[in-house]
Amino acid sequence: MNRRMIEMSILAVITILSIIAYLGKINGWHNGYTFSTGLSITLIILLAASVIFILVLTIKGKLIGRRIVFLYIGIAITLPLFMDISQEIVVSNDVKAVYADLEGLPAGSKILVSFDYDPASAPELQPMAEAFIGECFKRDFKLIMMGLWPMGPQQANMAVDTIMNRMGLTDQDIIYGEDWVNLGFQTGDVFVIQRMGGSFESMFHTDINGRPYQDIPLVKNIKNFSNIDYSFNLSAGFPGTVEWVQVGVDRYGLKLSCGNTAVQAPTVYPYLKAGQLSGLIGGMNDGAAFEKLTQLEGKATKFMLSQSFSHLIIIAFIFIGNVAYFRTGRKSALKK
Amino acid sequence: MDHFGIWLAAFLTLGIYSFLYRDNAWYKLSESIFIGISAGYWVVILFWDNFYAKFWLQRQDDPMLWVGAALGFLMLLRLIPKIGWIARWPLAFIDGATAGLWGMNFLASNIMVQTKATIMPLMGPAFSGSIGDLLSNLVLVGGTFCGLIYFFFSKEHKGAFGNAARVGIWTIMITFGAMFGYTVMSRMSLLIGRIDFLFRDWLGLLK
Amino acid sequence: MSLSQRKSFSVFPAIQFIIIIALTFVLSVNSFAQEATDDTTSVTSVIIAPPTNLLVEDFEYDDGEKLNLIWTPSIDDQPQVGKVTGYQVFRVTNDDVTTKIAELMPGANNFTDQELDKDSTYSYYVTAIANGAEASSVTTSPISPQREWVNFGLTNLFVIALIIGGAIFYFIEMGKRGKKLFVRKIAGLEAVDDAIGRATEMGRPILYIPGIHDMDDVQTLASLTILGRVAEQIADYDIKIRMPVARSLVMTAARETIKASYQAAGRPDAYSDDMVSYITDEQFGYVAAVDGIMVREKPATVFLLGAFFAESLILAETGNHVGAIQIAGTARPAQLPFFIAACDFTLIGEELFAASAYLSNEPKALGALKGQDVGKIIAAAAIIAGVLLETVIQLTDSESAATLLGYLRQAFTT
Repeated sequence: MNRRMIEMSILAVITILSIIAYLGKINGWHNGYTFSTGLSITLIILLAASVIFILVLTIKGKLIGRRIVFLYIGIAITLPLFMDISQEIVVSNDVKAVYADLEGLPAGSKILVSFDYDPASAPELQPMAEAFIGECFKRDFKLIMMGLWPMGPQQANMAVDTIMNRMGLTDQDIIYGEDWVNLGFQTGDVFVIQRMGGSFESMFHTDINGRPYQDIPLVKNIKNFSNIDYSFNLSAGFPGTVEWVQVGVDRYGLKLSCGNTAVQAPTVYPYLKAGQLSGLIGGMNDGAAFEKLTQLEGKATKFMLSQSFSHLIIIAFIFIGNVAYFRTGRKSALKK
Repeated sequence: MDHFGIWLAAFLTLGIYSFLYRDNAWYKLSESIFIGISAGYWVVILFWDNFYAKFWLQRQDDPMLWVGAALGFLMLLRLIPKIGWIARWPLAFIDGATAGLWGMNFLASNIMVQTKATIMPLMGPAFSGSIGDLLSNLVLVGGTFCGLIYFFFSKEHKGAFGNAARVGIWTIMITFGAMFGYTVMSRMSLLIGRIDFLFRDWLGLLK
Repeated sequence: MSLSQRKSFSVFPAIQFIIIIALTFVLSVNSFAQEATDDTTSVTSVIIAPPTNLLVEDFEYDDGEKLNLIWTPSIDDQPQVGKVTGYQVFRVTNDDVTTKIAELMPGANNFTDQELDKDSTYSYYVTAIANGAEASSVTTSPISPQREWVNFGLTNLFVIALIIGGAIFYFIEMGKRGKKLFVRKIAGLEAVDDAIGRATEMGRPILYIPGIHDMDDVQTLASLTILGRVAEQIADYDIKIRMPVARSLVMTAARETIKASYQAAGRPDAYSDDMVSYITDEQFGYVAAVDGIMVREKPATVFLLGAFFAESLILAETGNHVGAIQIAGTARPAQLPFFIAACDFTLIGEELFAASAYLSNEPKALGALKGQDVGKIIAAAAIIAGVLLETVIQLTDSESAATLLGYLRQAFTT
């Protein structure tokens, strides 16, 4: 059998298995699986042993291909999703600061939440969004949502739906237009924030559903940032937290904390240190920490084991890579 | 329709991931669909959110919008090569306005506030910090100062100045190392999100 | 298209300076305060005490549309056993129309009334609300908001902008008069010639990625200036250049830049619009396409210069994988680690702008770079002086040092 044939056969097998699993899902043949503790530990030991085997091979001068690394990352992420092992989550001071801010606000406070990300960053930011919104609903805060990214407001609506379901809240408990509103997306990046400093309505004539600004009870008396008690920014890049700090905080005196992707977190640390930001939830582990504080455990908590496993595998391969580097010289460190 | 949607999403996700194995027809197909849809999506977004929502709906309320529209129209003159140079005017406007806005924002937020935040005591009887704080402050102040020296372009990096610049670039590199770690974390989160989609939402294998 | 047209992309610092000055002046200021003449109160309910000491002041440094209200909360407004459930703020205009303008939480002691008319007068009173009872403060005497033309609150920002801007103009002027403006060697730049030479030897194309931002990002402008120089050499050596872009404006600007370079190199016939192609604005759609191009066309050299985000590592890794020599540069700190790890040479942060100034050898670009060095001297000096003063204060409790430090902090407060 030539290589192409093997590839096609593997693809065919994966397709058939997928169809069976899918049919199983829609017909209720299975309900999803969780590994027992014994199986989980066995798998972890096997995985560790195979990594050690690769290390030995590398020391002997036999290098592995990059596809093996990809495969291991895939395994390290997938297996823990099936494992029922809970992990200790450490809460950083920056996350505590966000929670403390919320604790310090009286019921009825108006909070501006800007959703500056899209589905590509949702795995990191959506859990933070859900926990933040849930905590605000618990404390009877009023949420004004918006987005500087086109798909941000859709993420906001999804987060509200998800958390209301999880908390068992209905449209009668949390009323749209009174307890929260989604003003939608506006183009113009940093200029939007700038103009909002003068008037929200000049940038958002209607909400996301086309309802005029003046007809929405929650916002009709909100002119600009001076009527906002607190703000939270969920950001995956530009425009995002940096722009909110530069214009919203430094020019208009907004009180701001943020949830960021881990990629962006180091960029905003200087603002945190200088007091321009009051708190930061950075990346999935901080997301899990915030879920822990709010007791609204969601996907970030669920994904933490996969995250930790993948980090361990990466650390192992960095070590193996360095062994390969010193063993064989830079250019051929990884077979192409 | 739901079945089709979720299968299509899974098909495209796996198609893009197949690039990890090697470039192939499946990846090319997924890539082309992605590019086509995203280009179309942006056209729609820009038309409805900019032209329609910001100009067309409000054209009677705010006469200034016509100035913007006129500048926007000038931009289109690029399509006529003979007078295409006129398109530089709106471009100059965008560059100038953005430069002014960013200039002030950066000067205030990134230079003045950050400089002020770097001013801190290193030691002293009333200094409440521990040895850890002392070290941390030293690293912060020294790192910022040497980093500034690295980015000083008016003097060759030689002698003591060169050494300080070297400390600066080392500080920067260590920072980059930490950032790299953060990014790996981010990327893993995204991958976890996709794998969760495949195994939970698509195949229903996860509880 | 002439070379001088290409240069227009680097007029940025001059415009920046003018707009900095304009903005600082136009965002108005200067203030007058007027106190309410009376702090006696009229009690409309026997159950709770009213708020007292209501004071209305002009909002400092605005264009005459805001007034600030401050008051002492009712003595019945206590955190634990307070009877007050909130406050209502009322505005009385000069034609005697009374409007409720705000409902505030217990504990509130200030409010800013906005969108007022500077030609009208306004009086205010604040009412404390309890269950079934209310008590109003006295109504203040009429006051008009004042317009201020200059924001003196931003004087320090203005002075620092003036010093840096002045330095930029000084160096530009020096450069124009023929004085050589020294800029230190930038390591990554020396690699450009080698990288182009390599593509010539291998007979493979050069891939130039200008980042994913539009023409309003100074990084894109710097990238296009470098592109101008690279394209001239490419025209000389007769190599193929491929430039996929994510913004339509960048496409047209890049085409003009390359065309001008080909003309300057005496090869206008070799230029083709196909060298630059628009892909999509969508970040990862663009990345998927560029990855595809890299794998299929196997460029000998890849330039990644401009504003990059999450795509940086994907692009740099693929380029590395296909064995290209890669020269990268961006001012986005978060993306630099990947370029440093996966590329052969990296222009770190401001080096990108320095490289662009160095290559263009224009007084404007070089002057801007030198002027910014003055800014760095100010920041470095302030940090050193501030840290020394802080430490001296800690060690000696010196009052004069504390005063000096106070001034220094004030100078950097916005």
